[in-house]
Amino acid sequence: MTGTEIALIGAALAVGLAGIGSAIGVGIVGQSAAGLVTEDPDKFGQTLLLQALPGTQGIYGLLAGFLIMQEVGVIGDAPMLVLESAQGYAFLMASIPIAIVGLVSGIYQGRVSGAAVGLVAKRPEELGKGIVYAVMVETYAVLALLATILLLFGIDVNG
Amino acid sequence: MPIDDTIYAYSVGRVRALETRLLDQSRFERMIDAASGEEALKVLSETDYAAAVTELNDVHDFEYMLSAELKNIFDLIRDISPRPEMIATLALRYDVHNLKVLFKAKYLGVKTDLLIPVGTVDLNKLEYAVNEDDYRDFPGDLRQAAENINEDFLVNRDPQIIDLILDQVLYKQLITLAGEYNSAFLEGLFIRQIDLTNLKTLIRVKRMGLDREFLKKVLLPHGSLPADRLISLTDEPLESMITALNMSEYADLIEEGVREWLEKGTASRFEKLADDYITAYLKKGKWKAFALEPLVGYLWAKEIEIKNIRIVMVGKINQLPAEAIKERIRNVYL
Repeated sequence: MTGTEIALIGAALAVGLAGIGSAIGVGIVGQSAAGLVTEDPDKFGQTLLLQALPGTQGIYGLLAGFLIMQEVGVIGDAPMLVLESAQGYAFLMASIPIAIVGLVSGIYQGRVSGAAVGLVAKRPEELGKGIVYAVMVETYAVLALLATILLLFGIDVNG
Repeated sequence: MPIDDTIYAYSVGRVRALETRLLDQSRFERMIDAASGEEALKVLSETDYAAAVTELNDVHDFEYMLSAELKNIFDLIRDISPRPEMIATLALRYDVHNLKVLFKAKYLGVKTDLLIPVGTVDLNKLEYAVNEDDYRDFPGDLRQAAENINEDFLVNRDPQIIDLILDQVLYKQLITLAGEYNSAFLEGLFIRQIDLTNLKTLIRVKRMGLDREFLKKVLLPHGSLPADRLISLTDEPLESMITALNMSEYADLIEEGVREWLEKGTASRFEKLADDYITAYLKKGKWKAFALEPLVGYLWAKEIEIKNIRIVMVGKINQLPAEAIKERIRNVYL
């Protein structure tokens, strides 16, 4: 396998795993919200907000994937690079933080947001607090994205 | 994290909305303070019961309304639960209740309208089976029990035996099912119900002056209070009974409920505290976001609500003093 191919596996993992995390997370909240809205349709807006929260991991994964594709030259005007294996592995490693943390934090953020749907059912005025709890999980997805970006920028593709 | 507890997401979300419509303590207080049964119903018509209340022709018909409500709620929870068979275990109690009523009606030769349409077996089928002595359609243990009742009753002519045999089967079945479904929560619930039933039996036996041998026969197995300990308490005075059980979970219940029962001769305080005890147990699991607990808790909350409405309505119609009604009102699950 060429270095370029290995780098692209990294891009695929970042987008794929973080996306799976978000899909599961958003799916959990959607089910909780549908249960609540069956009985109380006025809560649609508030629950939609909660459902959107675990969606960010997928976006972070996509961002990381884009960065890799751009550096490798799959997209953009620059010609595609021919990378050494070692360089390819560097890209793969750089994608790991957001891929794994995106997967796991997306699911757990979904669980927190799903529980917050119950909070909104009883105390709609406390939506903000429910969001804060869910956003605490977000912290770690953001940290993982940061690590991935720092790693990507540290790779020397010309050397 | 269990593989997928999020199968409960929808049903718990829905129950969260339903919980907000449970009647709270202040609503019951307003009903109790109402001038008459009709006035109490008016308070009820400000709630989710509005549609059902307007359909009532007579205040004495509230029983039908409550029975229909209970059935609706059981059907709803069974429908939205990802594990309807687990919810069905809670309906078994009503099958057994209906069987007790039918057997007694048959042997006493009367008609009955005390049946509750909530059980897992269709009421017509139950009625047919009891009248024709044909229990082929019953699940294993229940069938055996029904046949035993028939034989036993022909010999002893004692209607109490009906309750005893059926309770034994019910709780045996419930404990087995809780094990099968691997639910420590349901098992905990059933064990507590068994303990409470056993305590009740112990007090009854004590008050009727029956002997240990009888108690030995009728205590339910699987409880957390060991049977031999309970049996040893038959001849003890109240104080030593309280001391003997004050390390158990039921200390307060015994102290207050049993004392009043033995001293004043009314079980109503005990019954209230026993229900409150189960409510407190179920409340512990109320806030789980993805679990069976909130569903079972809501069902119980509804049963208690219906019981409370019945207590208030019966009290109002019979013009009991407000204090007497208040004492019997169960704590709400909210």
